[in-house]
Amino acid sequence: MSLTRTGNDAMSERVLEVRGLSKRFPGVIALDAVSFDLMAGEVHGLCGENGAGKSTLIKVLSGIHASGSYEGQVLVGGQPVAFRSIADAEAAGIAVIYQELALIGAMTVAENVFLGAEPRRGALIDWHKMYADTRELLRDYDLTLDPTARVADLGVGQQQLVEIVKALAKNSKILLLDEPTAALTETEVERLLHIVGGLRQRGITCVYISHKLDEVLEIADRITVLRDGEGVCTLAAGETGKDEVIRHMVGREIVDFYPRERIEPGAPLLKVEGLSVAAEGVEVLRNISFEVRAGEVLGLGGLMGAGRSELLLHILGGYGQRIGGVVQVNGRALSGHTPADAIAEGLVLVSEDRKRYGLFLEKSIGFNLSLSSLGQFATHLLIDQNGEIRRNQIFFDSLGIRANGQETVVGSLSGGNQQKVVLGKALMTEPQVILLDEPTRGIDVGAKVEVYQLVNHLTAEGKAVVLVSSELPELMGMSDRMVILSSGQVGGRFDRQDASQERILAAAMAHN
Amino acid sequence: MLSIELAVTATLALGMLLVLLPGMIDLSVGSGVGLIGGIASVLVFEHQIPAPLAMGVGFAFAILVWSLMGKLIVRQRIPAFIITLGGLLVFKGAFWLVIHNSTIPVSEGNATNIYALLTTYYLPAWGGYLLLVVIGALFVLAQVRARRQRREHGFAVEDSEVGFLKAFVGLQGLLLFAIVMNGFRGIPLSVVILGVVALLVYVVTQHTPFGRYLYAIGDNEEAAALSGIPIQKVVIGAYALLGGVVALTGFMQTAYAGASTTTVGDLMELDAIAACVIGGTSLKGGRGTVMGVLFGALIMTSLLNGMTLLAVAPEMKYMARGVVLILAVWMDVAVAKK
Repeated sequence: MSLTRTGNDAMSERVLEVRGLSKRFPGVIALDAVSFDLMAGEVHGLCGENGAGKSTLIKVLSGIHASGSYEGQVLVGGQPVAFRSIADAEAAGIAVIYQELALIGAMTVAENVFLGAEPRRGALIDWHKMYADTRELLRDYDLTLDPTARVADLGVGQQQLVEIVKALAKNSKILLLDEPTAALTETEVERLLHIVGGLRQRGITCVYISHKLDEVLEIADRITVLRDGEGVCTLAAGETGKDEVIRHMVGREIVDFYPRERIEPGAPLLKVEGLSVAAEGVEVLRNISFEVRAGEVLGLGGLMGAGRSELLLHILGGYGQRIGGVVQVNGRALSGHTPADAIAEGLVLVSEDRKRYGLFLEKSIGFNLSLSSLGQFATHLLIDQNGEIRRNQIFFDSLGIRANGQETVVGSLSGGNQQKVVLGKALMTEPQVILLDEPTRGIDVGAKVEVYQLVNHLTAEGKAVVLVSSELPELMGMSDRMVILSSGQVGGRFDRQDASQERILAAAMAHN
Repeated sequence: MLSIELAVTATLALGMLLVLLPGMIDLSVGSGVGLIGGIASVLVFEHQIPAPLAMGVGFAFAILVWSLMGKLIVRQRIPAFIITLGGLLVFKGAFWLVIHNSTIPVSEGNATNIYALLTTYYLPAWGGYLLLVVIGALFVLAQVRARRQRREHGFAVEDSEVGFLKAFVGLQGLLLFAIVMNGFRGIPLSVVILGVVALLVYVVTQHTPFGRYLYAIGDNEEAAALSGIPIQKVVIGAYALLGGVVALTGFMQTAYAGASTTTVGDLMELDAIAACVIGGTSLKGGRGTVMGVLFGALIMTSLLNGMTLLAVAPEMKYMARGVVLILAVWMDVAVAKK
């Protein structure tokens, strides 16, 4: 890759400066006198655990937190600015690419790129110009996207690129990328990093927020670390390393990042044999076989779209039609079942998309935790609320959920704590087999280690875990064995000791 | 009369709450009220079937029909709006067919029966006070128990004086209601029915797994499915319960009118929805309480009743109802934005 950090003349100019920025919410200081600056054409990494204040900083810079609701100064091009809305920030050339994509799936790439700024001829939209301009813009950035493609038909990685092009179409000078690679596979990440690197040459400044420190170190010129709302330091990326950044983020050293404790596996708890599944008439999974034993972590790897999530969802009973094969939990065959049936058999799934498939954001922590297990508390149809609260409290405490109490609304929690709630909901059903789909996506380093420890704890209790992860180090670090999917088929199987990143990637592309 | 109209509207709104919570809707309840009331009237007046049996038939029929509508909605994935809009028209036609476009009294001649008594029976004064004492005692008991439990689990408990004042004011309100009612003709039976329905709906929504599932489905249906909630069963169950409430409301509304006529139940679906939304129920689902709905129904009925007393022209009444409905939904949207 040619992501050189040198050879940029424009780097001397300061395009944005933040001076002594403080933002208070009732009872919390989200930002405490933070200062930092952006040079023209630099990629500036922003690191910090969840709740460190990254999102708040982004919201101030993008005009979501209107001027007046915070203290301190924001200067663009040396001039103090006071954004009252997102439109103000966009007019000043600042655009945000959000973690949750803000695209309209039913519209084409071009329609999305020009949404709200459609080229017109009189009162009517000039469709020809819109598609021609989009094609030119895409060619400009070496993107092989079709302007007439429906966005919903694109992969997450391509959608991310559409978001970036959309921002560039508005002549944005500063792009704020909030966890742009959270949902991307390794190859898509490479491509995105390449494009971000290319923006540098055009004098466009990027703020790159990510939990994936390797990426930040690879792409950024400078890195600013936030901790508990304070700007801890700004480091030159070329002169620092992962350990130093983590140390600044958490204020302590994390020695063993993947603390997997292997134990002797017991009887097979989940068995999948020759499984083939179709969705809407198309075969998505073909002839997949594996088994997971008690006390074991089976890693399920593969590229985005290889069918990992679909496999887990089908096993739970929430996806596709079975064409052939057998799924057995604890020796009992499951077929044509619903998630409710699967949960009754001791199976449970923690989805990759916790907001969409896992949480009830408007409801309390307690409501979420006990929802899948209400049968345990129902005597004569009524819920024994004492028993429920007591059991919720056990999970609340043992998972270390950081909140005022179980009556706190889940939507107000940080990503890591939300993930703990989803895990708690799953574990309260007393499962034998736990399917974890990207359990550490978008959560901070400290919370990740807690999830890993939880996995150890579960296997020590004799439960079986299936772990899906797009982060290869995590997959290799936490799995006892690995099954790599490739285009809906098994592309390779590895034991922990003979897996390497190269071999796994080769297996993931075996059937492409 | 306000209290009887309140009882009818609020009862129906409480049923509506059960389907609004999981994010569904039912536009057919107004026609349903007419149809079920009509079936019972015809059975009593034309076929000389005893009123309790006739009402039982109406009940069973309503629960069956509403379960079927629920099934169509969840199994065939047809939007609730369309199914129940169709239901509105079908039931209206069926209603007119059943009563052959005429007027069918709820009881024969001057004879009275339990059907007619639904809205004409008033508790004697001592009965009203007795009821009040029982309710008050139960309420205080429940409050004391809840406070003790909250304290046991380390939750914040409101100041005991505040709690006492709340209970005191609440009981004063009930007492005032009883005195005013007794000064008139006593507490109407229909208000007692509303009380029972409200209590049942409260218990179902707040204290049963089924109720929790209603909220969960409305908040996030996909997550609810993967959490192991039997969504189809729960939604069908909600419609079945609503069917029962529609039957009960049908009997009360028809009895209140004295007879089944072609206009019984007209636009009641909109009053019920408006009452729910005014009371803070979200049309997207996942949010809404029994107390809120009761409050919303009170506002809705006071408004309609007030306009009648002031002899407001029917043209104006229609428009006022429409404006209130729009305002209520606008409020819902505004709250959701916050």
